[in-house]
Amino acid sequence: MTKILSVKDIRYTHTVKRGVFSPLQVFELGPISFDMHSGETIAIIGNNGSGKSLLAKALAGAISIDSGTIEIDTEAKHAQAVRMILQHSKDALNPALSIGSILTQTLTLNTQLSEHQKREKIEETLVRVGLLREHYYFYRHMLSDGQQQRVALARALLLDPKIIVADEPFAALDPSVRSQTINLILKLQKELGLGFVFISHNIGIVRHISDRVLVMDKGKVIEQGPTKDVFIDPQEPLTQKLIQSHFAMVEKHFANL
Amino acid sequence: MALLEIKNLTLYIDTGDDTTVKALEKVNLTLNEGEIRALVGESGSGKSLVVRCIIGAIPDYWSIKADRITYNGQDLLNMSYEKRRQIMRREIAVVFQEPTSSLDPSVTIGEQIEESIPPEFIDKGWFWEKNRQRKQIAIGLIHKVGIRDHARYLNAYPHEIPKDVSQKIMIAMALASEPKILIADDSTRGMESTTKTQILRLLVKLNKTKKLAILFVSHDLLAITSIAQSMTVLYCGQTVESGKTRSLLKRPLHPYTKALLDSAPSFQVSLAPKSPLVALDGTIPTLQHLPAGCRLGPRCPNARKECVQVPAPRSIQEHTYSCHFPLHMPEKLSTKPPRMAQGLTATSYEDD
Repeated sequence: MTKILSVKDIRYTHTVKRGVFSPLQVFELGPISFDMHSGETIAIIGNNGSGKSLLAKALAGAISIDSGTIEIDTEAKHAQAVRMILQHSKDALNPALSIGSILTQTLTLNTQLSEHQKREKIEETLVRVGLLREHYYFYRHMLSDGQQQRVALARALLLDPKIIVADEPFAALDPSVRSQTINLILKLQKELGLGFVFISHNIGIVRHISDRVLVMDKGKVIEQGPTKDVFIDPQEPLTQKLIQSHFAMVEKHFANL
Repeated sequence: MALLEIKNLTLYIDTGDDTTVKALEKVNLTLNEGEIRALVGESGSGKSLVVRCIIGAIPDYWSIKADRITYNGQDLLNMSYEKRRQIMRREIAVVFQEPTSSLDPSVTIGEQIEESIPPEFIDKGWFWEKNRQRKQIAIGLIHKVGIRDHARYLNAYPHEIPKDVSQKIMIAMALASEPKILIADDSTRGMESTTKTQILRLLVKLNKTKKLAILFVSHDLLAITSIAQSMTVLYCGQTVESGKTRSLLKRPLHPYTKALLDSAPSFQVSLAPKSPLVALDGTIPTLQHLPAGCRLGPRCPNARKECVQVPAPRSIQEHTYSCHFPLHMPEKLSTKPPRMAQGLTATSYEDD
């Protein structure tokens, strides 16, 4: 297990200006530090507005952090080594372009491949995520939810990243499609040794697929550790509340049996 | 007694080019007094269509055919428009999906709640007294749904308040007319577990204290099993299985129900971390490409030749299922001539 990502004391300040005279609303993220090894899955949990999405964006390089460092063990550019899957994969695909052109854009902007190589790369990736080569010619509206999620995953995988960051990848999916996506991610992780960082509200899934958990509140990581330890013995009141409210529901389920 | 009863509801949608699709096919649903029933199904299964058929929010190019849709013994289908509106206004309340988009963005929360209070509840004489009473009722309502800080939210606009609070506001507005039935359409979607528990606790409390019957429409199995006493599973516009939550969880008879339950990792005790989950192949078909017969057919692990016929609903002790080859059942028993669900005759199930 090699270390592929190390995040040290990153900080980011997000200010919102509502009106001319109203006071600035300031949201401070960090300082946050953690390390990640290859093939590891890290889940970020926390209440709404705790800065989970900001952290994900900071990792992916979508926002530039104020201080601190994000080091990735690779020669490739940051933007290529860390790819992001957005929350609503459906809305993140351009309805006017075919899946092929959407994916080609990613390659044109980031690599020097020839047309032929691009085409090959895209088809290979489509097959890898469980779609067909023919989906190259499809448009967004022709695909089901699960297939759209796969295209989003294909777009992330296209540049052979080390790490995939996903903001609530499972929230909008139906149970059966969700299980399919989870299986796919688990499979890809095993094959490619990907690091996977994801945000989720679904504690059941977090427990099932993550190796480590970060619990966030008000821009800070209040607790982190191996999933097993955090779930067996949560230290912070917020973590306890999140986990207990989930298990209370699970217990009710088993009480029904 | 059944408060709301739907028998063999079929919804046709006119697609324009002389074809119609059956968006719902022979859906059965009963909601008893003081019961929480869950309507379970993935997106595209027609859950929201059922809700719209109940409340009658149907555009011109849809047409309904049903043996009956009754509320408290009154037939909702052959009722005058005014009468039906009256019932919708006072007896059945709906909390729609996506609270942030169902609230009017240009009006404050307070005004919206006050608007939803029926005029009969205001008995004071002068207009200032009326206004004050209305405000008092609005404050009472949002206290009831567990928001203590009423001053902060009554004057806020919908974009200024968090999603879970707007969900509670929607419930408060639904409760304003003191309904008998509350239809909650996907109320816990995308919420973290703490707020979800709060909303669920609120619904259970309302159900216990006011004998409010709740139709809880969702695909969140964890939420459903923790509050609902009975559930109806919908797949692609067909009711596949319905009955007491307990018996459905213990012994799902339909392969789809089983797959749905298996998809929640929390329900499996002996599941190694990172092991693949059980999932049906493929996805829910679109309305344009519905398979014939049992619509689960192409995805079903034990589909056979017979499955191109729509299976008739059969029931064992209030547990109704529609499947030719139910799980947990010896082959011989399941191929016996079906015992019909209560009140149904064999002829009503022949193709129309």
